[in-house]
Amino acid sequence: MTFFSHPGDFDVIVVGGGHAGAEAALAASGLGMKTLLMTQDLDTIAQMSCNPSIGGIGKGQIVREIDALGGQMAKNTDCSALSVHMLNASRGPAVHSPRAQCDKKLYQFAMKRRLEAENNISLIQDEAVRIWTEGSRLKGVVTLRNTRYRSNCVILTTGTFLKGVIHIGLLSFKGGRYNHPPSDGLSPSLEELGFKLGRLKTGTPMRLNGRTIDFSRCAEQKPDDPPAPFSHFTASLENKLLPCWITHTGAGTAAIIRANLDKSPLYCGRIKSAGPRYCPSIEDKIVKFPHHPTHHLFLEPEGFETGEYYVNGLSTSLPEEVQTAVVRSVAGLEKAELVRAAYAIEYDYCLPQQLDYSLQAKIVPGLFMAGQINGTTGYEEAAAQGLMAGINAALKIKGLQPLILRRDEAYIGVMIDDLISKGIDEPYRIFTSRAEYRLLLRRDNADLRLMDYGLKLGLVSEKFKRPFKIYKDTVEKLKLIPQPSSLIPRFGEMAPWTVEKAELSAKTETDYAAYIARNNKEAEKLKKFEHVIIPPGLDFAALKGLLLESRQKLTKVRPTTLAQASRIPGVTPADMQLLWVHVERMGKRRGGVAI
Amino acid sequence: MLIPDTTQTVVAPASAPGPGAIAVVRLSGPGAFSVAKAFLEPRKAFDDPKPRSAYLLRAHEDGRLLDRTITLLYPSPKSYTGEQMVEIFCHGSPYIISRIVNLAIKHGAVEARPGEFTFRAFINGKLDLAQAEAVNDLILSESAAAHRAAITQIEGGVSKQIRKLRRRLITLLSELEVRLDDSYEELPALDLSSFREKTLLLARGIQVLADSFEKGRYLKHGIRAAIAGAPNCGKSSLLNSLLGYKRAIVAPSAGTTRDTIEEKLDVSGLSVIFTDTAGINRRTGNPVEKEGIKRTFKALKTSDLILWVQDAAKSAGAADRRVQKAIAANAQRGTAVLKVFNKSDLPPKRPPAEIAGGTSLSCKTGEGVETLKKLLAGERGRLFSAEASAVITSARHFQALLNARKELEKLKELESGKTFPFELAAEHLKGALGELAVILGETTSEELLADIFKNFCVGK
Repeated sequence: MTFFSHPGDFDVIVVGGGHAGAEAALAASGLGMKTLLMTQDLDTIAQMSCNPSIGGIGKGQIVREIDALGGQMAKNTDCSALSVHMLNASRGPAVHSPRAQCDKKLYQFAMKRRLEAENNISLIQDEAVRIWTEGSRLKGVVTLRNTRYRSNCVILTTGTFLKGVIHIGLLSFKGGRYNHPPSDGLSPSLEELGFKLGRLKTGTPMRLNGRTIDFSRCAEQKPDDPPAPFSHFTASLENKLLPCWITHTGAGTAAIIRANLDKSPLYCGRIKSAGPRYCPSIEDKIVKFPHHPTHHLFLEPEGFETGEYYVNGLSTSLPEEVQTAVVRSVAGLEKAELVRAAYAIEYDYCLPQQLDYSLQAKIVPGLFMAGQINGTTGYEEAAAQGLMAGINAALKIKGLQPLILRRDEAYIGVMIDDLISKGIDEPYRIFTSRAEYRLLLRRDNADLRLMDYGLKLGLVSEKFKRPFKIYKDTVEKLKLIPQPSSLIPRFGEMAPWTVEKAELSAKTETDYAAYIARNNKEAEKLKKFEHVIIPPGLDFAALKGLLLESRQKLTKVRPTTLAQASRIPGVTPADMQLLWVHVERMGKRRGGVAI
Repeated sequence: MLIPDTTQTVVAPASAPGPGAIAVVRLSGPGAFSVAKAFLEPRKAFDDPKPRSAYLLRAHEDGRLLDRTITLLYPSPKSYTGEQMVEIFCHGSPYIISRIVNLAIKHGAVEARPGEFTFRAFINGKLDLAQAEAVNDLILSESAAAHRAAITQIEGGVSKQIRKLRRRLITLLSELEVRLDDSYEELPALDLSSFREKTLLLARGIQVLADSFEKGRYLKHGIRAAIAGAPNCGKSSLLNSLLGYKRAIVAPSAGTTRDTIEEKLDVSGLSVIFTDTAGINRRTGNPVEKEGIKRTFKALKTSDLILWVQDAAKSAGAADRRVQKAIAANAQRGTAVLKVFNKSDLPPKRPPAEIAGGTSLSCKTGEGVETLKKLLAGERGRLFSAEASAVITSARHFQALLNARKELEKLKELESGKTFPFELAAEHLKGALGELAVILGETTSEELLADIFKNFCVGK
């Protein structure tokens, strides 16, 4: 077989143009890397394959974190938003979570335009089918058209495409997303390299033609007024916002589903892989929670220029005719017409314990992975990993230390640590309850937590350095003296930040002071151990005194720091002491420095 | 998952367990001096101590002399661990050792884990590479022992109990967490009064287990038996008869015993600490006797068993009724009471039926004393079966349970506001869970999510 070798040498190749891929490419190029973004279809850059919405509880905080680090997602959301809600607004500020419905086409175009405008980014419509290696050295990728692309680093962001199989009722066929071919080449290539793959399932509900919905039978959910922008850099939203609608399933719905469970691939055993428990299909909800007479459904517009509505809460893999019956059992949807059927999709993922904290594969240096390939679900989780993988690939090429966020620093840190230390057994979604230090990880302080990294990397423009410094100082001062009058002369200099925002952050920190101090104290204890590196060569199996079970767990995860080891479920304080002593001893033998 | 915290001061006996001539209790950590200073006198010894010099210091508990000790003070870094250290050489009674350890804990120290002193020495760079090899073997053996201990506990009743409490905590926490993480807004509002009630019940459950620490202690250190009764009924004589030598001063006049006297005796394999108390005299003007009576009440309160001594040669009088009242309060809390009728060598003035309800003996002739000892040995079965499956024996576990209960108490304060702040309440429940995790060494996050998804229909 003859290869065409692409003449250009790239620093970074990003495989996949979804939410992870787009952020990865922008981050790498932003750090000066010559970057290639390769996708099967340029028309589906940053496609919202499921709900055209960004944010949500925990997820909204992640988007703010992406923004503070210099990522694109929040800005992209602000310019395409069509309905905006602050979730958990009635609860404490630590759990306030922004969420926006977006025009899915606007979102895609904005992201595509952003990628095209970047000097360091080349785009190519082709499909990667093989990781190109020589020995254990990564050389680049080989595509479906037999082209070889050479690069230092490769970032895989394959979404649901790896050996994707779509299910609608008992009908199933290959596909990475409806109407798109799967990517069948990369899985065997990864297995050949020694990666362990697993299989997951997710699904999406049907879309309806809005003309056939009786909105008078639904409750209106008005957008927030004024709507809060997602990005720290957006002053206000310009789009005219639309309402969403709330309705609910009834007794009829449950009856139809129960009568048709034998036609559900989930219930007749055709789908064996794990789906997300927190995003259950409607058949799951009916079977597992029979005492719930009704379930909420949200009808959400898919765009300004389309009449399609997304039926949030009605994810299913039942056959099409049953889907229609289910939809028509719902108040307001008695005459609704399906324009796209709901479906379930199964795909390969790569066990995330095989990555290090920079999202780089332990066995193939230079190969990074982000998004659903790591077992996560959600655009926000994917984008955050894409951003981190892009940053860390660039830092690796530059010979610099990777950027690793701690659990007390960012939801992104919580997520990556969870993935790498614990692995997953269902698609991983962020929850605020996953964070030990929830009161530290708020929407309002994402900039205070992370923007210094963004500025240092250069992903946040230099021109924001001074305003941000003034903003930070103002928050600190307001924490001491809640009277802002003495600070007024400097207010103008902190745009796009405002004194109202400074007051909000200062008040939150003051209200939570005792708890924040507690969180910080706990985090401090752990921090010490973050710096104790476990040498990669340490043979956990040979450690005398460890329980067999602990040895096995440590061998499986291969923690890189003591802190990570301590978070592996089942590792005891005694194990930790033992491990510490060994690590220290090894460090001394090699002339390393003890803590 | 608990990580060794070197900002804490730890305490532990450093000498072998069991009675001996001299025992050593060791403290190490940044607060070693300030903890020791709280119960060792004179305090000025701590002002500018000469490193590794011996001081004769008195250990006090509640203003009472516990023991005279030789204490060595090691300012940091000139110590075994490299931290501030105190070594207290006391008399080798397991009782004194445990009191000193408890005093240190009371004043802010925590119980050291096995191997912790050596471990601290290692991380503080006090041991070089050659020594590290040897020390490593030591630590290995100690942590293997720790593992064994942990396994025994995991299979034992304590863990079962704690795991049950932990389950209940997780259930409570998931009620909050699911509402914080729910975006479908279809969960019914939290039933605050039922939540409050469950929290209260849980706090009580934790307290009950914590209370078993006292029982756990006598598994290790023996049971406490107070000898109580009206003035001059022969309490001190009984102590002497039991011991077989004249420990307490006895005299025919009432109110001879002013202070409580403690003595330990092995009764058929059961370690019993007898406390001779002052007679309860209502109208004494004597301040010393008053203080003695105060201590009597305290001794009754802290006893596992009360020997109620009555003079069979005298009719029951007002003094006996006062004693009865004092004892009744304790009996209600579950303290066992054994009635003893002394002076069987004299003509009885009590109805035979009453005397038959207790043990009749004579301290003078020794008649009946053995019968009482047999009865005491019998108490062993009752006390030890009562502690059944779950007894806290470790001060560290005791501390963790108390901390967990305190966390739950803080929930109450949060209810005063207009809205119940779920995210803050969750902090306290997580705090309590963290305390229990210290005992079990288990993490909760995944289990919590499992609970949420099992019990609630959550949207994304």
